[in-house]
Amino acid sequence: MNELIKKATTLLESSAVQVVIGYGKGSASRTRAIFVTQPADCDKLIFDSRCVQNLAVYLTKAEIKKLGKPAIVAPIPVLRSILQLAAENQLKEDGLIVLGISPESELVEFESFAAIETFLASNKIEIEDKYKKKIEQIKAMPVSERFDFWVKELELCFKCYACRAACPLCYCTRCTVENNQPQWIPAASHTLGNLEWHVMRAMHLAGRCTDCEACYNACPMGIPIHLLTKSMLQDVEENFGTYGPSLNKQNTLSSFNPDDKESFIR
Amino acid sequence: MSKIGVFICHCGENISATVDVVKVAEEAGKLEGVAFSTDYKYMCSDPGQTIIKQMIKEKGLTGVVVAACSPRMHEPTFRKACSEAGLNPYMCEMSNLREHCSWVHDKSDATTQKAIDLVRTLVEKVKYNKPLHNIKVPVTKTALVIGGGIAGIQASLDIANAGHQVVLIEKDPSIGGHMSQLSETFPTLDCSQCILTPRMVEVAQHPNITLLTYAELEKLEGFIGNFKATIRKKAKSIDEKLCTGCGLCTTKCPTKKIPSEFNTGLGFRPAIYVPFPQAVPNKPVIDKLNCQYYLKGKCKVCEKVCPTGAIRFDQEDELVEMEVGAVVAATGFNVMEPSGFPEYGYGKYKDVITGLQFERLASASGPTLGEIRRPSDGAIPKKIVFIACAGSRDPAKGIPYCSKICCMYTAKHAMLYQHKVHGGESYIFYMDIRAGGKNYEEFTRRAIVDDEVNYIRGRVSKVYEENGKLIVKGVDTLLNAKPVEIEADMVVLASAAVANPGSEELAQRMHISYDAYNFFSEAHPKLKPVETNTAGIFLAGACQAPKDIPETVSQASGAAAKVAILFSQNELSREPVVAVVNRSPAPLYSTCVGCFMCATACPYQAIGEELITDRKGNVIKRVAKVNPGLCQGCGTCVAFCRSKSIDIDGYSNEQMYSEVMALLNAE
Amino acid sequence: MIMNEFEPKIVAFVCNWCTYAGADLTGTSRIKYAQNVKIIRFPCTGRIDFMLLLKAFGEGADGIIVSGCHPNDCHYTSGNFHARRRWIMFRGLLDLLGIDVRRIQYSWVSAAEGAKWADIVNTTVTAIRELGPYTDYAKVAGYLEKEAKV
Repeated sequence: MNELIKKATTLLESSAVQVVIGYGKGSASRTRAIFVTQPADCDKLIFDSRCVQNLAVYLTKAEIKKLGKPAIVAPIPVLRSILQLAAENQLKEDGLIVLGISPESELVEFESFAAIETFLASNKIEIEDKYKKKIEQIKAMPVSERFDFWVKELELCFKCYACRAACPLCYCTRCTVENNQPQWIPAASHTLGNLEWHVMRAMHLAGRCTDCEACYNACPMGIPIHLLTKSMLQDVEENFGTYGPSLNKQNTLSSFNPDDKESFIR
Repeated sequence: MSKIGVFICHCGENISATVDVVKVAEEAGKLEGVAFSTDYKYMCSDPGQTIIKQMIKEKGLTGVVVAACSPRMHEPTFRKACSEAGLNPYMCEMSNLREHCSWVHDKSDATTQKAIDLVRTLVEKVKYNKPLHNIKVPVTKTALVIGGGIAGIQASLDIANAGHQVVLIEKDPSIGGHMSQLSETFPTLDCSQCILTPRMVEVAQHPNITLLTYAELEKLEGFIGNFKATIRKKAKSIDEKLCTGCGLCTTKCPTKKIPSEFNTGLGFRPAIYVPFPQAVPNKPVIDKLNCQYYLKGKCKVCEKVCPTGAIRFDQEDELVEMEVGAVVAATGFNVMEPSGFPEYGYGKYKDVITGLQFERLASASGPTLGEIRRPSDGAIPKKIVFIACAGSRDPAKGIPYCSKICCMYTAKHAMLYQHKVHGGESYIFYMDIRAGGKNYEEFTRRAIVDDEVNYIRGRVSKVYEENGKLIVKGVDTLLNAKPVEIEADMVVLASAAVANPGSEELAQRMHISYDAYNFFSEAHPKLKPVETNTAGIFLAGACQAPKDIPETVSQASGAAAKVAILFSQNELSREPVVAVVNRSPAPLYSTCVGCFMCATACPYQAIGEELITDRKGNVIKRVAKVNPGLCQGCGTCVAFCRSKSIDIDGYSNEQMYSEVMALLNAE
Repeated sequence: MIMNEFEPKIVAFVCNWCTYAGADLTGTSRIKYAQNVKIIRFPCTGRIDFMLLLKAFGEGADGIIVSGCHPNDCHYTSGNFHARRRWIMFRGLLDLLGIDVRRIQYSWVSAAEGAKWADIVNTTVTAIRELGPYTDYAKVAGYLEKEAKV
């Protein structure tokens, strides 16, 4: 990734950006997000198959915004999140530099969000078969069994909200769980509260999720919450035709088609 | 601390026959926060209302729940009573014990329990009610009318005569619209120009009307009573104050052969031109796309001959901003060029023309001075075929609707032809004859009986030229699908009435809805034909849907009446059940993160943006803001907001949550 | 208390302009229907937050009815279109989670359809009665214990 390090160094030296958000060495054999502010530290930047964290989550955090204009290392999942954030008015076109990484591990530079969208048109979101099978498996169970499956999984949740912290699209300054008038989601980690939390999280991501799996990767208990969001992605495609971030398309839920199919409404 | 008063109505026997109202009042009295609970035979009666007013004053009630009939019936009654007793009317709610309980169930313990549950639910809601005050919005009493055809002219005159200011803008150099192109109008065969031009002059001379021709709407911002319109006055290249309308320039212009738009391409006009002799204003404009000076820098003959020196080649488009309180869209329609129907040969054969082109031939001030002549060789046609529904009622070609006016004007055209060309033969191929207006059926009968127009029920499959004649191949379905072939000298196509090009952009600029055919949408097809979904913008004429002159004039007067209603008040008072984005002290300012999903969902474009700045003007945050003048209180935005930053007074999150909790929990 | 006659508790979330008015018409026409349904009034189906449905189940509802204006007839022009999309997504999610979507009846009832409202109520009550009390949800929501204490 010499090209990447060179580019990052140039950007910092010329003060085009004040911080480079990228991947660096983590503990054991893992990687972690690093925030390089000195040109000399750019050689800490790495990129390989271990780099799965979604760095776009940092773009909306106040602590990072304070550092100044960022450059961000962006493999495909991160690019998708950046595009979705841009579509939701959270990023300004001249507020960041995107150092894209293609699936062939080459550096790609983008002048605009529209350019990112064009690039992503040939890298559409594809839900892997293993997940499709798992979702089908669950749906094939009778209702009670299905509920028991999820109750067992959700009993493990202890409301650490790591899923929320890791998701780039969870950028609300005050989350609904912090609302206590009225108390939509009880703070305690009993099963009902966990269920309500995950329903709300999945619904808030309806039509917006870019399938980066950061939520699942962050969950310390390994609860398959990404199945909920993947299933929602499938539902969006089945019912409304397209999914995937776009500057031109309106959010799935806040737009409508007078001819939306309704099979269950009397 | 809530002090809620609960008043259970017997409604005579309507409620008390099935519900134990005394028990309901008793149970309600035990609820926390209820300071007073009673039952009475007729709560809406005078003595009933007096009880409420007395108790508000005696007990210092902070909220009132009246459990009686449907709130759709008496909510205003009880809210007014509370208001008279000094309690904000929005602190009063009604529980429906009649339509939703006593009238639909039998007498039983379960029914009484349901009534108790329903009362408890509303008591819990009222604890979260806030006092609300009607929103007052000022009104600018100037109307903007877009479009100077008969619809715009009528609307302008009505509004101006009601004593209000009107700005009428028209994109062509003259007002008059399509009606000025017609020769005679059905069913009276009045000369169109004769009935139209007096109105055109009235508009020009009316002290309350400012007429801007060759002008278009550039931008529209604001909301009902408070619009800001930006008008683009296109450069006419004439100083209107100096121009006397003598017309000398138009006779001297060397570029004479530009197809005239007014004459639908059948005649010519010069580059500096007045569209038609009776134009209002009767002052020329220079067509920059065809003028020798603008193209090549040469000529300038008009400048040399103008006696008052009124030519201004350096004139530029001017953008004018104005404040208006209401907008009337009267932009009219267009007649489709049926070149998408190769079977009819329009565009291929010169003598196949549209109905509008026929009007110009028939018109005394037209290119043939009122004589029906073939465009190809100027000969008078002995046999003429009219084809109705040339384009309309054809789902395959994208126009499934009926254009409404063609049956009538085709009959009219045939009659005019028979009057002007004695011994001529006219044929009309039709599907149906739609003559539903006053005297319309009699008119079409005249065409058939008195003027001997031949009506053939069937469609035309092909029109082609042979030996200088147009062969029309059709079928007569009333004679068992007998094929018919006519050697015609001229064919007139009653092509579809379509929306004007640019309608879609104009509708988007005005933020009004439009349908799949780019006609503007009315607020309700039956009961609100002149309003749009955007408060303060009204519709008049064929821009909404194809229609004839009497309907256009009616609708224009209707729109004018709506504007007059709006302007009859100095302030608009609106129900305060509107959405509000939360604001809090620094450094948060608002929990809104500026994703604007609410704005995209709002059907009334009532949500805009607000830039929260520091004292130096630096932007700290960009958040959503609801315009209380436009918000209708549907609450869709509230259900969308992920951070729960927007809420609606009257159906707030707390209120609805407490209703659900109270309904299911009996303690 | 009758132990073997299970009376379901059903909450109805309805819009003010169509279904609430339709239910009023049912009343004016004196058409009788089951008592198990209690109505909460919203200005528009677009206002109905999906969490409220979940909260209803959590507080002991055995069934839910959600009803509004027919598409194209919404008093606020598009609230019901947005609601419909929301319900399509919500229903899919609930289905995956094993929350019984047969217990939620969605419908369009206009202000003129008094008879339809009665029909919706009666058929929903019958259906829920057959499905029985929502004990699965009660297990996590803990309200069966609450009732037992009382």
